[in-house]
Amino acid sequence: MHYIPQLIVDALLLGGIYTLMVIGLALSFGVTRVINFAHGEAVMLGAYGAYTIALVSGIDPLLALPLLMVIGCLFGMALFKVAIEPVLKAPHVNQILLTFGIGLVLQNVAVMIWKADERSVVTPYAYSSFQFGEVFVPGGRLIGFGVAVVLVGALFFWLRHTEFGRATRALDEQRDAAVLVGINVKRMYALAFGLSVALGVATGVILSFIGAISPFMGFHILVKGFAIIVLGGLGSIVGAVLGAFLLAFAETAVSYYVPNGTGWAEAVAFAVLFLVLVLRPRGIVGQAVAD
Amino acid sequence: MKLDYRSYILACLAAAALSASSAVAQDTIKIGVPMELSGRFVAYGASGKRGAELAAEVYGGKVAGKKIELLHRDIQSESQATISVFNELVNKEKVNYIIGPIASPTVAAAIPAWRQTKPLWIVPGSSSTKLEEEAGSEPEFFHAFPYAYHYHQSVAAALKSQLPTGQKVSLVFSDDNYGRTHQPYAKKYLTEAGFEIVAEEIVRTNAPDMNPLLTKIARSKPNILLGLVQTTDAVTLTKQIYTRKLPVPYLVGTAATQLDEWQKAVGPAQEGWIGVTTYLPGLKRPGNRDYPKLFPPSDEWEAAFIKKYGQEPDFEDAGCYVSAMLLFLAIEKAGGDDKAKVVAELQKLDVKNTLLGDAKFGPTPGGTKNQAFSDVVVFQRQSEKNVMLFPPGPTVGKIKSAVQ
Amino acid sequence: MARQSNFMVALGVLSALGLVASTFWDAPQINNWLFRASTLIMLATSWNLMANAGLVSLGHSAFWGVGSYAAIMSANAWSGSILGTLVVALLAGALMGLIVAAVTGGLKGIFFAISTLALSEGLRISALMLPDVTSGAVGLFLRQDLRPSQQTLYLVAALAAVASVGVAILISCSKLQFASRAMRDNEAAAQMLGIAPRRQRMIIVAISGAMASAAGAINAWYGGYLDPEVAFTLHNTILAQIAPILGGIHTLAGPVIGSFAIIALSEGTRIWFGNMEGVSQMTFGLVLVVCILFLPRGIEGVMHRRKKQQATAGTPAPALATGRGGKS
Repeated sequence: MHYIPQLIVDALLLGGIYTLMVIGLALSFGVTRVINFAHGEAVMLGAYGAYTIALVSGIDPLLALPLLMVIGCLFGMALFKVAIEPVLKAPHVNQILLTFGIGLVLQNVAVMIWKADERSVVTPYAYSSFQFGEVFVPGGRLIGFGVAVVLVGALFFWLRHTEFGRATRALDEQRDAAVLVGINVKRMYALAFGLSVALGVATGVILSFIGAISPFMGFHILVKGFAIIVLGGLGSIVGAVLGAFLLAFAETAVSYYVPNGTGWAEAVAFAVLFLVLVLRPRGIVGQAVAD
Repeated sequence: MKLDYRSYILACLAAAALSASSAVAQDTIKIGVPMELSGRFVAYGASGKRGAELAAEVYGGKVAGKKIELLHRDIQSESQATISVFNELVNKEKVNYIIGPIASPTVAAAIPAWRQTKPLWIVPGSSSTKLEEEAGSEPEFFHAFPYAYHYHQSVAAALKSQLPTGQKVSLVFSDDNYGRTHQPYAKKYLTEAGFEIVAEEIVRTNAPDMNPLLTKIARSKPNILLGLVQTTDAVTLTKQIYTRKLPVPYLVGTAATQLDEWQKAVGPAQEGWIGVTTYLPGLKRPGNRDYPKLFPPSDEWEAAFIKKYGQEPDFEDAGCYVSAMLLFLAIEKAGGDDKAKVVAELQKLDVKNTLLGDAKFGPTPGGTKNQAFSDVVVFQRQSEKNVMLFPPGPTVGKIKSAVQ
Repeated sequence: MARQSNFMVALGVLSALGLVASTFWDAPQINNWLFRASTLIMLATSWNLMANAGLVSLGHSAFWGVGSYAAIMSANAWSGSILGTLVVALLAGALMGLIVAAVTGGLKGIFFAISTLALSEGLRISALMLPDVTSGAVGLFLRQDLRPSQQTLYLVAALAAVASVGVAILISCSKLQFASRAMRDNEAAAQMLGIAPRRQRMIIVAISGAMASAAGAINAWYGGYLDPEVAFTLHNTILAQIAPILGGIHTLAGPVIGSFAIIALSEGTRIWFGNMEGVSQMTFGLVLVVCILFLPRGIEGVMHRRKKQQATAGTPAPALATGRGGKS
């Protein structure tokens, strides 16, 4: 029971990272209704991007973050136009498998470029930490949490208060009306998709100095991301944030209190996923499942 | 249309038939070298390939009058690929000799395929005792690497020689072949040597967050932390230990401390980590007097290696180099490509002072008939250099605490 | 489902006979390739069955893995023969299929797909965390004395592959075929027509699961070694989808054509690009992407279109359908 303060800190910080991880997925599904099975690879490429920039020019990942996000967004928009737009009206099978295939290609391009060994970026703040009595707060994760807060805040602000953002919300809520009103649907879709990739890239940048990165990290992240999105409710960004923290708490609690907990913690995501799908498919905040 | 479809199939079959017949050049000796040239264990496999190549070059490219043909194959660190590659080497190429692979799971996957024709098999890796159970008693199987129990006998002895008694140990092990194999032996030998195991935590491979288990470990206040994890997990564990300034003075990593890629990935966090390995640059081992060209003193060999490849050799470079050399010697003594004779010669070989120590294959208590190189060295990273801690000898230094 | 012409039927029968006959011929490399093609045909056909009913499985490796473990564990425990343990695997797969179908109830599309993904990963972790049952990460070896001859393995695989396609043909001629089609296109309408989708779903998933588990079992006997990574590897899920997509989804010949093509592709990249890591996997990804974008009906679709062109010379070929009233 004396674990509780530390548990809360660990769970909150983990939740911040998870939030960053899924916010992109939630955005792209909410707007384009395409589940991006290549999202994990966007994260992975963001991590490798930060690593390469740090290696080649010594620039800190946090400084490289904005640039990488812009690149990610442009890449996402291009990808959308080229590969995803054609299947917007296709059966789900096609969409799922298409993005799956794209993810596979990206993963192996990374393998070819960077080889399969593990890497990590070494920065001074990544190793810093603060001690409050018995509770220890790792600096790297705190920064990750901070970035997550900033980006999520920016996203919400954008959705509420800018022209583009409002148009995106309109698409989300009332597709046909939006078209009638003259909103350029295709452009919005591409932009939303691009933003979702940018958010994925941001996650990768943070992960690059918190832990180890490898070309295969994407799949893992993807599955977790799904668990969270389904838990929170497909298409709801608020739901995604809630889901992220809930899962983080569940996993951390299992790690601490269940014997061999860290071994079972990964399974929590799947158990949650399965339970939610069975008991309440719409998730906490999500829309009805009729699709 | 009809022709197109049918001719497609015929073309496939024709291609298959063509490839099925392998042109057997009578004047080469084929040695299969399946290695993890990609995937998770690429660090081991790339070294293995290099070691074997270097050995063939140094030996002169020919053995018993015939050209040495090394058949390098990439098993992609995957069990399925390993099975396919072994099937090909054993059934199609019909090799009589195989060196590799290295990692425990890939070696395990290879065993059933190897059994089909049982070529002479030198395994310069895999500390898994399951390997010993399954293949150890076969005369064609040669294990050129320590088993998990050898590792931990040495680790326990090393720690005992450098530290006062009554120390408390915490174990972290990964839920994979490596961690699961090593954990019981670590526990056994450390306990026998007088250490107290106060915490044991299992970790999922590729876990992103080891903080909870580190918190739990910190509570039990151990003096020693033994990390039985590989690759990515070793990096994550090391970084997170460093970040939270875990108050554990002695950190031991059995699988990664000696690797260049780990050292680069963790940077300053490597200070004070203790590693265990079969070979390390800077050991200053003497050479063999009968074969000075094949087995020079380790300093000389390292210098030549650095000159050729531009980097320091690691334990699998040395391991596969030695294994390949021993194989060549055995073939030479047997007079040619006669598997049974070569097996007999390899069993009889007694070559002192190779890079890994004395080369003599003999039985183990666990049931392996042909085991060599069961000794390991224990070292510590101090100021980005390797300081030897064990076995005792003139080059041995003093252990330092990782906590300032 | 297009009616197969007499030619296709003849070709199919010939291929089946050829496959079985090949096992009596001792050419190790070809036998190995055809073995892999056989198990892949089973896996692909099984996936295709589910896809026909509108259920996209992203966790087919779950069935494969369960079949593998069922086979090896029962063999070691009861000195089982390959056929005996095959039955065990079939039952295990069918049982799991029933459970999955029952538990996921009426979930469709994305949700079903994600839940299969969760199942596969969850099973993998469970297999790892329960070493007392499954030997965990250290691995499980088939008992040496039980191992049959290579030829037996090849023969069993070939017969099983033929049997799988046979089952698919039977289903396509039965009432289940209409139920599947209906479920795929419009479940509400299906219900109104009196088709009980839940029950049909359970039957389809059970059969599909049994087939995939059998494939895993046969493969486990061949490999002789099993651990959770090998059994539940994502690679099998990828293969299970690519083969039908490449060959022609929703058709009978598609999974078969696709399986041969995939094995050829895989071996080709290994032989020519074996030194370059990641090439074969990337090729698979490219195949998926290209097929979805340009060849939604796969190789089979291409052949059909050309046939139609031949038959209706002069009239323009119909545009490839990219959707069948897909909802989105």
